[in-house]
Order: sequence, then structure tokens, then C-alpha cells
Amino acid sequence: MDPRKSENEGNLDPDQSGLIYQMALDIGGSLAKLVYFTYDEDCAIEGKDGMSPEKAVAKSKGSKSCAVLRGKLNFKIFETSKINDCLEFIKSVKLRLGGCQRQENPGSQAIAVKATGGGAYKYTDLFKERLGINLDKEDEMDCLVAGANFLLKAVHQEAYTYMGGQKQFMDVDHNDLYPYLLVSIGSGVSMIKVEGDGKFERVSGTSIGGGTFWGLGKLLTKCKNFDELLELSYQGNNRVIDMLVGDIYGGTDYSKIGLSSTTIASSFGKVISNDKEIEDYKAEDIARSLLRMISNNIGQISYLNALRFGLKRIFFGGFFIRSHPFTMDTISVAVNFWSKGEAKALFLQHEGFLGAMGAFMSSDQHELKKLLENKAVHQQASSIKACAIAGDLHGDESIECCVYSV
Amino acid sequence: MEGQKEFVQIDPNDLFPYLLVNIGSGVSMLKVDGDGKFERVSGTNVGGGTYWGLGRLLTKCKSFDELLELTQKGDNRAIDMLVGDIYGGMDYSKIGLSASTIASSFGKAISEKKELEDYRPEDISLSLLRMISYNIGQISYLNALRFGLKRIFFGGFFIRGHAYTMDTISFAVQFWSKGTAQAMFLRHEGFLGAFGAFMSYEKHGLDDLMVHQLVERFPMGAPYTGGKIHGPPLGDLNEKISWMEKFLQKGTEITAPVPMIPPGTTGLGGFEVPLSKGSTLRPDASALNVGVLHLVPTLEVFPLLADPKMYEPNTIDLSDHNELEYWFTILSEHLPDLVDKAVASEGGTDDAKRRGDAFARAFSAHLARLMEEPAAYGKLGLANLLEMREECLREFQFVDAYRSIKQRENEASLAVLPDLLMELDSMDEETRLLALIEGVLAANIFDWGSRACVDLYHQGTIIEIYRMSRNKMQRPWRVDNFDDFKERMLGTGDRKPTPHRRALLFVDNSGADVVLGMLPLARELLRRGTEVVLVANSLPALNDVTAIELPDIVAEAAKHCDILRRAAEAGDLLVDAMISPSNSSKESSTSVPLMVVENGCGSPCIDLRQVSSELAAAAKDADLIILEGMGRALHTNLNARFNCDALKLAMVKNQRLAEKLVKGKIYDCICKYEPAN
Repeated sequence: MDPRKSENEGNLDPDQSGLIYQMALDIGGSLAKLVYFTYDEDCAIEGKDGMSPEKAVAKSKGSKSCAVLRGKLNFKIFETSKINDCLEFIKSVKLRLGGCQRQENPGSQAIAVKATGGGAYKYTDLFKERLGINLDKEDEMDCLVAGANFLLKAVHQEAYTYMGGQKQFMDVDHNDLYPYLLVSIGSGVSMIKVEGDGKFERVSGTSIGGGTFWGLGKLLTKCKNFDELLELSYQGNNRVIDMLVGDIYGGTDYSKIGLSSTTIASSFGKVISNDKEIEDYKAEDIARSLLRMISNNIGQISYLNALRFGLKRIFFGGFFIRSHPFTMDTISVAVNFWSKGEAKALFLQHEGFLGAMGAFMSSDQHELKKLLENKAVHQQASSIKACAIAGDLHGDESIECCVYSV
Repeated sequence: MEGQKEFVQIDPNDLFPYLLVNIGSGVSMLKVDGDGKFERVSGTNVGGGTYWGLGRLLTKCKSFDELLELTQKGDNRAIDMLVGDIYGGMDYSKIGLSASTIASSFGKAISEKKELEDYRPEDISLSLLRMISYNIGQISYLNALRFGLKRIFFGGFFIRGHAYTMDTISFAVQFWSKGTAQAMFLRHEGFLGAFGAFMSYEKHGLDDLMVHQLVERFPMGAPYTGGKIHGPPLGDLNEKISWMEKFLQKGTEITAPVPMIPPGTTGLGGFEVPLSKGSTLRPDASALNVGVLHLVPTLEVFPLLADPKMYEPNTIDLSDHNELEYWFTILSEHLPDLVDKAVASEGGTDDAKRRGDAFARAFSAHLARLMEEPAAYGKLGLANLLEMREECLREFQFVDAYRSIKQRENEASLAVLPDLLMELDSMDEETRLLALIEGVLAANIFDWGSRACVDLYHQGTIIEIYRMSRNKMQRPWRVDNFDDFKERMLGTGDRKPTPHRRALLFVDNSGADVVLGMLPLARELLRRGTEVVLVANSLPALNDVTAIELPDIVAEAAKHCDILRRAAEAGDLLVDAMISPSNSSKESSTSVPLMVVENGCGSPCIDLRQVSSELAAAAKDADLIILEGMGRALHTNLNARFNCDALKLAMVKNQRLAEKLVKGKIYDCICKYEPAN
């Protein structure tokens, strides 16, 4: 059950990685997320150019308690507007992927890759023409939920709360996971009531999401990318731009209605009264105001929806969060504030890859899954257990994982 | 009690509880359980200040209104990432999102290599507006849901009677509630101030706030949706009820829960124009009955009313069925002409025609409903009927149907004004006063609200009609207290009376009426040392002059008249010193001031229980009121009593009204003077 020791350098460069075994894509409005599985070298000892899973399983049959399949789940993101980078990357790993497939299917048919998100539809032709890859489309919500369910169950301490700058990791009891509200913050925001595996409903959402932060931020600050904008927000002071309760009530708390003087009364509200141009404001301050506005709003709407359906847990996912402390803090504070402390915001380590993970898991021709099913027949029980590598997990990352039998 | 029956409200319980959403810089949400019983339950920091603040940074607009105005020509698809953008033009139908649903506000700005300057301010403004309005609508709905509230009232400056913000918020509520919650709107700017007062609720209960300031409006779509008209729900506010219609529920049912366009609104601001199924009206009589409750907190009771409790604005009681039928016929007959004017005023575009049709249909439907059940909306007076027509026009975004006509007539009248003033100045005092009153009555013939007068227009130029009309003024008029008025003004023999301190002149129509009739009279009063306040409509109604238009007219007239110029300068009407650039000192402004205030209404009539606080303030020093025109002096207020001298001047341009009110005939004149007692 123990996870493999971590290899921090990850598997970013396909040349250094093991075999690419399976890949799935989630192409959203802003970002394309890629999840792929590579074997560990020691599992693929018999041939660099590809050992079939069956062989790997066969190899491991001798040792009963040993994992049957070891490898890494790798996570990678690209900007959707630079979809070519993504294509190039896949192209570079395609040989191995193809090689693997070709062994199985000498007919050299087009390769099918699971994909979800709007881009799976939009870029179908592009993938076909450029890479000969058939994007096998999976429903976005299905994937999101499947990905979240998988990660919450399979990954040790996938969920955590974030209050006052502290991450508090927690394991969720599998039997007490449902129902929960899954808030996926991508370009836009979807709010999904999840009641079980494959049992869910999109109950709400908002168009004010990561795309809004980035889009407005780009227009207002001339920042070139999302991370830069986030970085800026660290150094900003939203008081310059936001109208606070204290600004209205002369610095005294308006405690009668439960507002402190630092509560934001109106995001960007101070801009009205100042006779300043956009150039007169610091980009840092703008980024900060924007981030607080959007995070707070998402926290509030999420809480209201959780309340509405009596859901005690709210999990936040999606690329917008990126383990960004300030974002998480604002969302946590919002949920805490609006629920008067009754609800807590929970975050996921792999928040950005829920959809891609779900797509990865969705394949019914999934060799990995086949294996698992086989094992299940033989061994009664099996599962994938994966463990996250500690540390910052945005952008490119990987999880050591192994398929093992109990 | 003690043999007296107290008037009992039938169903005040229908109102509470409700959610009151005040959209100022930020947004406050109050749960109101009863008179003075309320609690702040929620709010959001994304409000009007955010719209204006972000909008200012992004567009360089100089005013909130300018920013909002931009949305009309905007197309949010340029900036918002739509579901279709992500799905390559396809719907995400599984979860009911159409391709045009906004997936991410401003999301498209991410992927495009564009700078801020490359985006149209119109598009930015619309994206912002929709982002914020939808968000407010959504959070409001969720809070209403949480507390089981069926009604949501929206108010605050962000609404400010703006159809666009109301449309988007209303749509969000409809969208999220799937039609089970009602969005209602409160009017408008002063509510923010009132809210401030409310904050110190030891002094001002919400109760007070509402009794004075709420004006119930009714949904225009009601006759179509088959829904019940909700009114008057505000307990004690029966007497304050006036009219408005909102959101004709026309066109297709919303099947996709997509913030596209509220059914019945009209392709505004880059909204998708809905593919309505011809002109079929919304077939499902849904529970949703979007009404509009306008909070007009600036409205006050006119302080010079002698007995506000007994005051009844309407002269004609429409509870008489024949009377009702007559006026309905008049209004119906006038409708095609009005629709033509309205459509032409918006450039005669297809969109305008469509709205014109919708307006005609909606208004006719209301008339038909009222014929059937005159008390359907509460007590019905002619003033209400006329106001309903104006509100209905505004609902369909006909901002000012008579705009170009008014301009043309103002110009034509201003061109002949100098000659008229010269003629007047050559007269002696007594002759001049008579000529002035004659002039007011004669000029009142220029009235697009009167069928008879519209026909006249085809027969001569303005000045010809004016002179003909004035020459026909044979005293005694049908009601003629001129001599009393003259005595008050000029005295008898050697006894010179003290001039009035301040006169309020309630003006009527644009063009000759105000320029050749009321302005010369105002000038005479100014010359005699009386301050003059011109009181005009806040919003357009027929060809009535509005408070916004008046300063320009005065400025133009002042170019040819020193008396008017100095008075206008003293009254700060000529702020740009456009008349006398050489003279910036105040010393020449020894004149008494000429001022303009808005009356707080947008109807041809005036209900003096609801006037702007500006007017109420101006009235405090006044000792003379002059009400001019049929709407303000005959249809309403003919019998009103005041605490000061009052002069009511009008030409009766309707045969029936002449018979009914003064046992006279068409074109008879009324000059009713009632000194303060």
C-alpha cells in the first residue's frame, strides 16, 4: 500500500520518462489539461520500447503483495490559446504511445484518446489532422465528478482546508463523502451537487470565474499571463480601489449589521470618487481587488447553493485556484463569513485536473481498467492507490502511483 | 370605533415577507417581514460601484449614464466567452446550456491578442453590465429561496429606471428561479439616501420610508400572461398607486435556461434578438408575474396644497362607465398616430416597428382589461390612464416619441419670440398683462395630445395659428377671473400691491406653448421682481417640455432678451456664460432668478401628492402658482386648493371635457384665479 518514493523531477520530458501508457485531455476555454500515465522504469525492465500491461502483470504475479503496476500519473497544462504547444508535446510523446498501441493493434488505426471540455469538440479536426488522434469525447460534467470522486477516494490527503495561511490536510471517509457540492472554477464556474458515483446534477454556476479574473486583469493591467497576474495580487492593496464599509461609515465598524470596517462594500467602488485614470492605479492593487471580488463571489454563491441543498461539504476545484494562498483564503473567508462559521471550504490538491482525471478514468477500453477488472476477478478487490508528491503542485506535476492487489 | 368605520386594507399580508435588494455602490439584501421588521441577510460587494468603477477604468466614460447608454450598442460576444466559443459553436445541451450562454465573463479577453484599446467601449460596458446584473439576480434569488420569499424588490441607483439593468436582473431571477420568483423594481436614485436614513433606523422605520415613497407599478405583460395583477400590495399605499407596465411576456417561452434575452424585450444592446414565434404571446400563464415597484423616494407631498388629505387630483371620475368608454375610445383612436410618431422617433427601424407593435398591443390589452374591470389596478382616474400610456411607451424603450417634433417647434417658436417680445414691450402695463394671459391660452392650442389640435397643425405655421388663436380670444372666457388676477398684479388706482415673492409656473407643451406663452409671462413676473421657477416634467410625456430641455430653450430665448438673460444667470441656468462671455461678475445679476425644477413625473397630468423633493423645496418660498394646460389644470387639479395664490390657465381642446367641466364648447378658455385665503 505504500506509495513509491517520490521523484521530484517529475516526468516532464518524455524522453526521460517511462512509457506513456494512457493519456486523457481536458481542453477548457482557457487551459488544456493533460493527464498521462507512465510506467516506472523498473516495471518496464524488459523492454524500453514497450512492455504490455499484461506482461507487467504477469511479471508481478510472483510477488503476491507487490504492486502489479507501478508508474506515475503525470499532469501537464497548456494554454488553450497555444494549443499548438500541446500538440507539439503530444507529438513528442506520440511515438511511444503509438508504439505501444501499434503492438496491440498492428493495423495502425487512428489512436483514440479520451478528451473532455469544450475544446474536445472544437479541436477534433485539429487533433485528427495533425496527430492522427481521434478525440474520444466524454461529457465534461461526468469527467469532473468522476475525477473528483477518484481523487478524493484514491489520493491520500487530497483534500484540505485553508485558513489563516495554514493548509489542513484531511482524508475523507469514503462512506461519508456524499453528498457534496463540487465547485469547479475554470474560465467559468460550475456548481455540481454530487450524490454518488455518476450521480450528480449541475445545480448552479456563474460566469464570473477564472476567465473573468484573467480577462479583466489583462485588460486592466497588461499582464501577459495568469500567473503573473496572481503574483501581482500578492503585493497589492485592495483598499486603494475597493470601497470598504469603513470608507462609508467613517472608519467605524458597522457592527449592527455585522459588517466590519474592512469589509468590502463595493468592489472597485472607490474608483468612482477618485479622479484618476487607469494608469494612476497600481497593477498590483487592481489585481488584488479583482481577485478578492471574484473569489468572494464564488465563495458566496457556492455557500448559498450548498445551503439550498443541505450539503455540508464544498470542494473547490479548477485551474483558477492553483493553490494560490490568497485565492483560497478569500474563498474560505467568504464561505466562513456567509455561513457564519458553519461551513468550510475544502480544496483539492489536483484541483486543476479533475476533468482530465475523470476522462482518464472513463475509458472502458482502458487497459489499466481492464487490468484492474481482471485483478478484481482474481483477487476480489483491487484499486488504484496513488499518492501525491508533497509540495507545490501546480502546473506540471506527477503522482506516483501503483496498481496493487490486496 | 365610536361609530366611525376605519378603512380596512383588504390584504396587506400579501406583501410580506419579501426580499429588498438595494443596489447602490454595493448591494444589500434585507428580509422584510413586516412594517419595520427587517434584517440584513446578505449582500454582495459586486454592485453599481463595481460597474461604474470598472467601467470607468475600462472605457474612460465620464458618467454612469454614459456608460450605461453605451450598452445599447454593445455586443458582449466580443469579450465574453460563450459556451459556443468553447464548444466550437455547439450547445452544451446535456446540462441545458446553449451556445450563447455566457460561460465566462470577459473570458474572451484571455485568448485574444488584443489590448484594451482594441475593444469597443460599448461591448465592454455590456459585458460588465450583464456580469454584474446576472450576479445580483442570482444571489438575490438564492437568498429569496433560502428564506422562502416569493418576491424580490430591487432598488437603488443602479436600477434608476434603467431598462437595461432591470432587464438583465429580471432575467437572471427568471432564469435561476425557473419562473418561480418575482423580480420587482423600485425606483430610484434617492433610495440610496433613503437607505442611509434607514440605517439610522431608530428614527426612520422602513415603514415610513415606504409609505411616502413607494409607487406601485404594474406589469404590462399581465393581461397576456393571464397572471394576476399584483396590486396594490403595499398596505396603506392605495392612494399612491400609479402605473407602470413591465416586461411584456411576449414571444417564446424560455426553454433553454440561458441568459439570453428576456422575452418581450427588444433586441437591446446586442442582446440576441429572440426568434419570437410571430406575435404569439406567451402561451403558458406562468406563475411569474414580473411587476415593477418603483420607489420614488424623492417624491413628496406638494407643500402648498391646502388640504393634502382631501386632495383628489383627478377631475374626471372614470367610475362612470360612459366616461370610461369615451376616454378609451379617444385613446384607442389616437394610438396609431402615436405609434407612428414613436416608431419615427427611433429612426423607423425594424426594431422600432416591432417595439411599436408590441407597445400598441400591450397598451390595447391594458385598455381592454380596464374596460372589463375598471378597478383592476385600483382606483382609476384619467390621469392614471394617461400616465399608463407614457409608462407603456417607456417600457418599450420609446424614450421620447415626440423628440424631433418638439425640437422643430421649439426652433420655430424661438425664431418668432423676439418679435413677440417687442410687440409686448410696446404695450402699456394693463394691456400687456391681458395680452400675456391671452398668449398663454392661445399658445396652449399647440398640443399633440389633442386630436382636434393635431388636425389644426396641417393648416398653418406656428405663428399664424398662434395669432389666429390669440385674435379669437374673446373675453369673457368660459371661466374668467382675469380681473381679480389683474388687481392682484397691478392693484387698483394708486395702490400698488407688493409683487409676489416667487412664482411656480407649471409648464405644459414644448414649442409655442412654452416659448410664446409661458416664457413671456415668466418674463413679466421677473420684470416685476418675482422669482420664477419653471416646473417641468422629469420624463417626457407626449410633447410636454421636460426639465432637461428647458435650460436650452431659456438660453436661446435669453440671447434676445436682457431680462431673461440676467434672470437666467442669477438662477444659474446659464452656467457656461454662453450668452455674455465678457461678463463673468455677479454684479450684473441684480435680477431675481429664473430657475427650472423637475416635477418628478412623466405624465401629462400631475398628482401633487407625489412631486420631486426639488419642487417641494422650491415651493416653500412661493406665493403664486400658475398651472397651465389641460393635463395639469383641467384633467387634474382644476379643483385643487392651495395655500397661496393660484392661477389655472388652459384651453379646452376637447368637446366632451368642455361640456362636462365648464358647460362650454371646444376651444373655450379657462382662466381661474383663486387668491390665498
